[in-house]
Amino acid sequence: MNPTNPKQPWARLTAAARHVHDDRDTAAPYGFATRVTAIAFASSRSSLSLVERFAWRAVGVAGVLAILSVALNYSALTHKAVPVEEPVADNDTVSLLLKVD
Amino acid sequence: MPDDNLPLDLAGCLERVRQRDQAAARELVDHLYPLVIRIVRSHLPRRVAEEDLAQEVFLKMFTRLDQYQGAVPFPHWVSRIAVTTCIDHLRAQKRRPEFRWADLSETEAEVLDNVITNENDVPANDALAAHELVHQLLDQLKPDDQLVIRLLDLEQKSIAEIAQLTGWNQSLIKVRAFRARRKLQKLFQELKKKERS
Repeated sequence: MNPTNPKQPWARLTAAARHVHDDRDTAAPYGFATRVTAIAFASSRSSLSLVERFAWRAVGVAGVLAILSVALNYSALTHKAVPVEEPVADNDTVSLLLKVD
Repeated sequence: MPDDNLPLDLAGCLERVRQRDQAAARELVDHLYPLVIRIVRSHLPRRVAEEDLAQEVFLKMFTRLDQYQGAVPFPHWVSRIAVTTCIDHLRAQKRRPEFRWADLSETEAEVLDNVITNENDVPANDALAAHELVHQLLDQLKPDDQLVIRLLDLEQKSIAEIAQLTGWNQSLIKVRAFRARRKLQKLFQELKKKERS
């Protein structure tokens, strides 16, 4: 199908359709620019503040968790480690070999 | 209030918009509205209000403003946003209405009968019916094919212009145009058979 062939139905239909001109007004409706601008500027600000809010909340939660973990493990941190001699098992092959040496 | 008689200093206006000057942003929207609304009207999907679609285009424009590097004129850049927004809406419409003789008005049926049964031109006073028929037939195509054919055959844009508007490469546009015309040809053959039966 050659679309440029004027004998084709589609070519004749589009040729006629092109004679229809859109005479509707192309000026922005009253208040359109104000509304769009307000939405655009508000959404960019709110998305920024959302990120900020989450960031500060994350810092707060991390701080609380750090304090809690220190508090819960305080005794373990301050406890003096006492070296404990491990009793050597008599039937342990390695220890028996070492004794031989 | 900007003076409508003065041409808009687009570069200066964009700079002020980047500095979050709302007055400049309003000026920019008013300046570009005719361009955007013409694109929206010619590719408007069914059941979508033109003003809502235009608003979506401008919101995208403001969101992506930092990405504009000035490689193409700003109105071209905005046109591409408008075209891609329209195509996204067309793609979102999953179902395409079936084209049936019974749904056509008397004049539309006459015009269609005239173009498929003889080789006469459509009379000038039937242009409106032809226009309506063209849009109903375009609705039968896939959104991307629809866009290509509309730009090529109705708006008479060149392949290069379509490539610039859509961001698609020229071979892809030619393939889509070929596919769409083949589908239209098949549709005309089916309509002719149905008309005879």
